Amino acid sequence: MNASLAQAAVHQQEENQFFKQFPSLTTPSMRITAIREELLSTRYSICLERPTLLEKFKKSRQGRQAKSAHPLIRRAMAIAYILSHRTPKIYDNELIVGNMTSKRVAGNYYPEGGSINILEDLFRLGKRQIPIYLTPREKFQLAGIGIKTSLTSVGGKTLLRPGRFSHFLDFFRAKRYFITEEAGIAHQVGNYGDVVHNGLVRADMKAKQSLDERKIKDGTPLSPDQESFFKSVRIVIEGIRQMAANLADTAEKKAGQPGISDERRQELLTSAAACRHVPYHPARSFLEGLQSCWLVHVAMNLEDFEQGMSFGRLDQILYFLYSRERESGQLSPEKGAEIMASFQLKTCETMPLYSERIDQYFSGNAVAQGITVGGTDAEGNDVTNELSGLILDAFAQIRTREPALHVRVHKNTPSWFLEKAVETLQLGCGKPSFFGDAAVVRALETAGMTTEHARDYAVIGCVEMASQGRTYNSSDACLFNLPICLELSLNEGRRFLGWNPVRRRFGAVTPPVTQMKSFDDVVSAFRAQVNDSVSEMVKVISWLENTYRISRPTPINSIVTEGCLDKGKDVTWGGGFYDLTSIQVAGLADAGDSLYAIKKLVFEEKRMSLSALVDILKNNFSGQEALRQELVNKFPHYGNGNPEVDRMTQLAADVYSDAITSHKNTRGGKYVPGIYSMTCHIGFGRKTGALPNGRLAGMRLSNGLSPIDGLDRCGPTAVLRSAASLDSHKWTNCCALNMKFDKKIVAGKTGRNALTGIFRTYFDQGGMQVQANVLDAEMLREARRDPSAHPSLVVRVSGYCAYFNDLQPDVQDEIIERTAHGIG
Amino acid sequence: MESGDMGHSKDPAVFSIQHFCLHDGPGVRSIVFFKGCPLRCSWCQNPESWRTAPELAFKAHLCIDCKTCVNACPQQAISAPGHRDLQKCGQCFTCVENCPSGALVCFGKYYTVEDVAEALRPEFPYFENTGGGVTFSGGEPTLFPSFITGLSNRLHKEGIHTAMETCGYFDPETDTRFLSDMDLVLFDIKLFDEPAHLRFCGKSNTYIKKNLTRLAGMAFAGTGPDIWPRLPLIPSITDTTENLTGWAQFLDSIGIHYLTLVPYHNLGGSKRQWLNLPPAPEFSALTDERLGDAAKLLEQHGISCFAPGEEDWVQIDFKTASGNRKVT
Ligand code: SF4
Ligand code: SF4
Repeated sequence: MNASLAQAAVHQQEENQFFKQFPSLTTPSMRITAIREELLSTRYSICLERPTLLEKFKKSRQGRQAKSAHPLIRRAMAIAYILSHRTPKIYDNELIVGNMTSKRVAGNYYPEGGSINILEDLFRLGKRQIPIYLTPREKFQLAGIGIKTSLTSVGGKTLLRPGRFSHFLDFFRAKRYFITEEAGIAHQVGNYGDVVHNGLVRADMKAKQSLDERKIKDGTPLSPDQESFFKSVRIVIEGIRQMAANLADTAEKKAGQPGISDERRQELLTSAAACRHVPYHPARSFLEGLQSCWLVHVAMNLEDFEQGMSFGRLDQILYFLYSRERESGQLSPEKGAEIMASFQLKTCETMPLYSERIDQYFSGNAVAQGITVGGTDAEGNDVTNELSGLILDAFAQIRTREPALHVRVHKNTPSWFLEKAVETLQLGCGKPSFFGDAAVVRALETAGMTTEHARDYAVIGCVEMASQGRTYNSSDACLFNLPICLELSLNEGRRFLGWNPVRRRFGAVTPPVTQMKSFDDVVSAFRAQVNDSVSEMVKVISWLENTYRISRPTPINSIVTEGCLDKGKDVTWGGGFYDLTSIQVAGLADAGDSLYAIKKLVFEEKRMSLSALVDILKNNFSGQEALRQELVNKFPHYGNGNPEVDRMTQLAADVYSDAITSHKNTRGGKYVPGIYSMTCHIGFGRKTGALPNGRLAGMRLSNGLSPIDGLDRCGPTAVLRSAASLDSHKWTNCCALNMKFDKKIVAGKTGRNALTGIFRTYFDQGGMQVQANVLDAEMLREARRDPSAHPSLVVRVSGYCAYFNDLQPDVQDEIIERTAHGIG
Repeated sequence: MESGDMGHSKDPAVFSIQHFCLHDGPGVRSIVFFKGCPLRCSWCQNPESWRTAPELAFKAHLCIDCKTCVNACPQQAISAPGHRDLQKCGQCFTCVENCPSGALVCFGKYYTVEDVAEALRPEFPYFENTGGGVTFSGGEPTLFPSFITGLSNRLHKEGIHTAMETCGYFDPETDTRFLSDMDLVLFDIKLFDEPAHLRFCGKSNTYIKKNLTRLAGMAFAGTGPDIWPRLPLIPSITDTTENLTGWAQFLDSIGIHYLTLVPYHNLGGSKRQWLNLPPAPEFSALTDERLGDAAKLLEQHGISCFAPGEEDWVQIDFKTASGNRKVT
């Protein structure tokens, strides 16, 4: 047998005995099907309970007391009030309980920021691309809340001040960057291992001890701030306990109702017992472990806001409980998968509130509650287990827009697992995404993490990074438009086009193109613009950080982030063991390819002067279609395995990374770059002028680490090769490489073998991240024409997945157009 | 690279090298498409593979009417975009080079063995991780026996699996060494009836049957590559009971009991338009039902049927077939 063929056969033979024995774990039980149907058929809404409770709190006795309290305590009291006063709801069939909002599927409204933009759509909520249903009374109420609270939101407090007004307006005309941190920080992978195994009691006792002994761990006497911090911790823990107790009461009440089957009664009583026990005490069973995670997750969602709140490495965290019950025969794999599916379905109860304007930047209705599976232990040994596979199988049962699934791949990842992950991908939901341990660990080390901590990474939300449970990463602080910096550098800091005839200077003052004598001059101007843009952005984020410390600290997040209880500091005060602020970029390939075009056209082939090229760009290539065609069709582009042009994308990435990493945040943490763009490449694209690579003004930019749509002409292996060839060690917040495969081509065993093999090769070559849609283009076109044709079609947009019907039309078009990889 | 040098060479012109192909042999493969084919099957979807020499094509839908080609042609052979005086044209392809939109393209470029091997090299790791390799296709690779021997040996040196897709039309008396240098031959069969073959494919099928018999013998004796037949299903032409039965019995008689059925889809004749060829005759697309019927009939004759890319390669005993082949 041929050597390579033999090797492939060996790969295929390595099967997992367990999954051979239980091949049916991907089939949903009737219970799971019923919950899923209910969720899918529920109309989206907005839950106004949280803001209503906040208002009530302010008027309550406690609220009045809180006014004069330390900001940390004031905030903790408000959060505890919300948690303990919200209506507990338990839905039919579910095994994991705890409602995310007061409605079946809804977005929580966060008056502190994050939700205010939805008011822009108030008068046409039902007619939006993603319709939201509210009663007229609720709309009225929403308007009232909006008016009352928008000035006191974090953004309002920070920016509605003398000298900052133009930065406030930037939220409505984002061009160079889009500061997402204004909405909240959220984005966390808490220490769920600690919550599950030790319970919140550990943190509670630690806080109590510090208060009793009046010193922090290292012996330093408590400052008033630290005292308030420890008090805030105890207050929110009490709030969480009350929320859990209320759920237990409801479960017991339900169990006592007539007409409930014995089986369901037993389940409700089990849930009640679980909620009386966790998350305060250590979980005693697999189900309690998940219940514990879920309750803390709900609390974290209600504390900050809903974006990117993630669970981390559940296959590691829960394996002990799972295997103990499996071995004792108390839990069958089928039941385990069912509990896991019920847990995952809970994540579908929530959605973000984005106005249609904001939706251009973050289309897809995703909050990205991430679960990470596979990978290694601190020593680098493979720790993929039965539960890793079971988590994927449970998702195969539900195939919904949430949760986000992330698979870690390293050289000893077992083949059965990688194949199972690819099989899950073949279902067509765009999940899981794949992460290369080697590259990710290296990038985390760059940011100062120890190797052991870096190896314990989990994905936040879409693709962002944390050493789980010990990192405070404002991982989606801001999205950055890189190509516009090139535009500015070619026009002395002004945009090519603009409504203002005088063309106000917008970026840094850089030399006119007539003075740029070499390609290096262009690069320096580009660098100057990037640095300027980044500094401006950092300035605004710093203001926000200061507001957060006072008006939006997050004690629950601080409990699940190592370091805070030792230092006696909230995460927003710099309590986390690792502290990061992460920036994402859009248009990397556009910037790289454009730099290449300038270099070749102007400086190497000397076909025209730089100012002649810039004039053409200012005129958006009008009358220069031949040149534009040549740039698009005859010039090489990133993503085709051509090292010469890929080097320019590297250059663009380095200029950006260097600018980011030169800053520190006000908590003492590092700024780190990530290479992904949600759907910002569309919003930013609209504001960006023509580019030297032939892209017309207003067109979307390239997304994440992906090549420009349609210009990856050598197939998927070349895309992977180009991506893997880039040096990613500075990209601490990871990257997103989007690929699309035609379902017809990568179906079945052949497709599985092919995808498994090319992903493995990509990671062997140092690849960091890849995510793919396996889709039938025809199906998508059908869904575009008739939204009712495929109501539950899930696609991967950027770092996250969404129902196709929830996407903005131009995002839908983009997904359809993205090169259907797979020639032949 | 001698690619621009038009006058020379027994080296073949290659009109495309495609990567990540999953349907032409095991694993992830790259296909090298050679230019030149002895047959002219009326349903052919790759008319650019017919002629041996590189040739110019015009994709009207991409043309932006910039007239660069008109001005660039040293022979003044182009009067207007898309209108080339074949008499005047010196096949220099300056127009192609200068056309900004990709409307003018040249199918075929001369390659050396080393050029092809280098173009394939970046794909080697994907082959390794998927049990894939390189497939020579066309056109008809057997038109270039010494080249493909060289290339196959070159690839074998690096441990790469090689396959060849052939229409089977070559002189059966020819030296068979170039065949033994392959790991796998995908052998395309079309019409069993000789006059019908002559009519639809332009040549008799006598050579084809002889070669298939001979290759099967070599495969089973362990002196040749593994062999796997493929049959394109053209409604009412190749999917008739008569044709299918004919081939089934023939395959059975030479000991082959597996076959890939390649369903015909009418993808539109735009390539012929680009090459200024008369449009292809219209065949109706193959329905799933007809495909099912054909498979059923063949299965009744003991032939297992497969879709392209879904073959069960274990059906062929790779060990005996390649046991005496040196693969380093
Ligand atoms: S191939 Fe050369 S001679 Fe022929 S039309 Fe093109 S430019 Fe003119
Ligand atoms: S150069 Fe190309 S695009 Fe321009 S007129 Fe000729 S064929 Fe058309």
